[in-house]
Amino acid sequence: MSEQPKEPRRSRDEELYRSIDHTGPGFYLAAALLLVVFFFGAFQYVNQLRTGLAVTGMNQPVAWGFYIINFVFFIGISHAGTLISAILRLNNAEWRRPITRMAEVITAVVLLIGGLHPILDLGRPDRMLNIFMWGRLQSPLLWDVMCITAYLAASTVYLYVPLIPDIAKLRDRGTRPRWLYEFLSWDWQGTPRQQEVLQRAMNLLMILVIPVAVSVHTVISYIFAMTLEPGWHSTIFGPYFVAGAIFSGIASLMVVMIVFRKVYHLERYLKPVHFANLSKLLLVMAAVWFYLTFSEYITGFFSREPSELDVMMYKLTGPYAFPFWLMVFLNFVVPVSLLSRRRTRTIPVILFVSIGVVIGMWLERLIIVVPSLSVTSVDFPSHPYWPSLTEISIFAAAIAAFCLGFMLFAKFFPLISVWEIEEGRELAIRETSERIASYLPDDEEGRSTRAETVPEGTG
Amino acid sequence: MKNRHWIQGLQFLSICLMWAFAMGVLVFIVWLVLVAARWNDALNWTLAISLVMAPVYLTVAGTLTYVFIGLKRGAPKRDDEPRAEDG
Repeated sequence: MSEQPKEPRRSRDEELYRSIDHTGPGFYLAAALLLVVFFFGAFQYVNQLRTGLAVTGMNQPVAWGFYIINFVFFIGISHAGTLISAILRLNNAEWRRPITRMAEVITAVVLLIGGLHPILDLGRPDRMLNIFMWGRLQSPLLWDVMCITAYLAASTVYLYVPLIPDIAKLRDRGTRPRWLYEFLSWDWQGTPRQQEVLQRAMNLLMILVIPVAVSVHTVISYIFAMTLEPGWHSTIFGPYFVAGAIFSGIASLMVVMIVFRKVYHLERYLKPVHFANLSKLLLVMAAVWFYLTFSEYITGFFSREPSELDVMMYKLTGPYAFPFWLMVFLNFVVPVSLLSRRRTRTIPVILFVSIGVVIGMWLERLIIVVPSLSVTSVDFPSHPYWPSLTEISIFAAAIAAFCLGFMLFAKFFPLISVWEIEEGRELAIRETSERIASYLPDDEEGRSTRAETVPEGTG
Repeated sequence: MKNRHWIQGLQFLSICLMWAFAMGVLVFIVWLVLVAARWNDALNWTLAISLVMAPVYLTVAGTLTYVFIGLKRGAPKRDDEPRAEDG
């Protein structure tokens, strides 16, 4: 972390403040459109509150539909951020610097949206309050509430702490609202003591956030796996969900990066090398996802247990065959065939593959949640599930809320960590100097010439 | 100067709210343990989950408090701050 300048001065990273300093008509137009979508969804939800869950496509036996699918989907995407950011930071991956902030914002925004979905699924949301009085902590549903709240708290803190030096930069630039930056910067001046405090806190949070993130999606899988429902009662659901979450998280991160790179002209910071590295990670996760999917289905198939087989055939050849095979195509065939060759690993192709993976992972959640409920072991006719306009518009509203949240963040804070970029430059100069100095002869007392060659106060 | 007092007040309030949230969660967890004990409803599991969850909230709140206080203490004295001889 470099020393904060007292006087505002033009930084070489001025374009990182562009989204804060300039608000063009495009911003207002996009915000207005997203608000329309959001309020339409909100209107539909109010209608659902007044009329009841009859306005949704959910009925017996499919009592969990779009809301729970989207809940699992959004919480999965939240792994884009904190987990990826924490792992890259912990490994000291230098290419992480322009990526981590965006990843952390995705987590915080998506968790807020995803965490609300179980409430949308309730016909009487006021009864949520009963949890405070008579909740059962041994129920996986309540583990979910606790884990998501803990993850949201940890992720928000993990987003905020590394943001403090950049907030202080905005304060020193005199950006409005000044009181907000003054309030959030906690007198940050970049003194050695302050840097030490921040670094220690970041190290602790990095270590804390990884198990919390893993636990969140494991616990979500337990909601399904702890039941005896065919297609859900599986021992690999924990790692399967975590792998799927990281997979969809990386894909969404790349979509967001490519879109904001284009919108805010961040080509100088988000270079092809960043996308190439992330796409390699995506490729690995595609292979892991396929392996776990294969394991999940092959064990079910070999057991020949009738109810398990019914559900499986319902997915593979029944009404859900199209989404199932489309999922396999988008999550495995497309990434492997396009990302495994360097020639096709271009930014437009990566965008195409990432969007495909996001859709494919949403289909995976659909394939997990609905068919197990559609095929009943009791004498009850099987029903494919179709979402209603209410559910579709609330899903659209959730996506609009995500975009609005991200845009709002970009309006007040830099989407790329300025101090980390500066620190990276400083480190690059220092490491190069040290390497070159190590080839040079030592001085007469046998000391290295490093001290003379290391530039001070760069960045 | 007046503005600065307001901001310091807000900062103090944010620490209080953060701890109120963490303590609220802890009270909630303790309450659920008591409910489980009262109805003899899988108390061991409830205790196990409580012991896993409670430290996470405390660590997050503790870390943020450490950051806030550490940054305040580590900041150089401002020119507009009253000196000791000013009374």
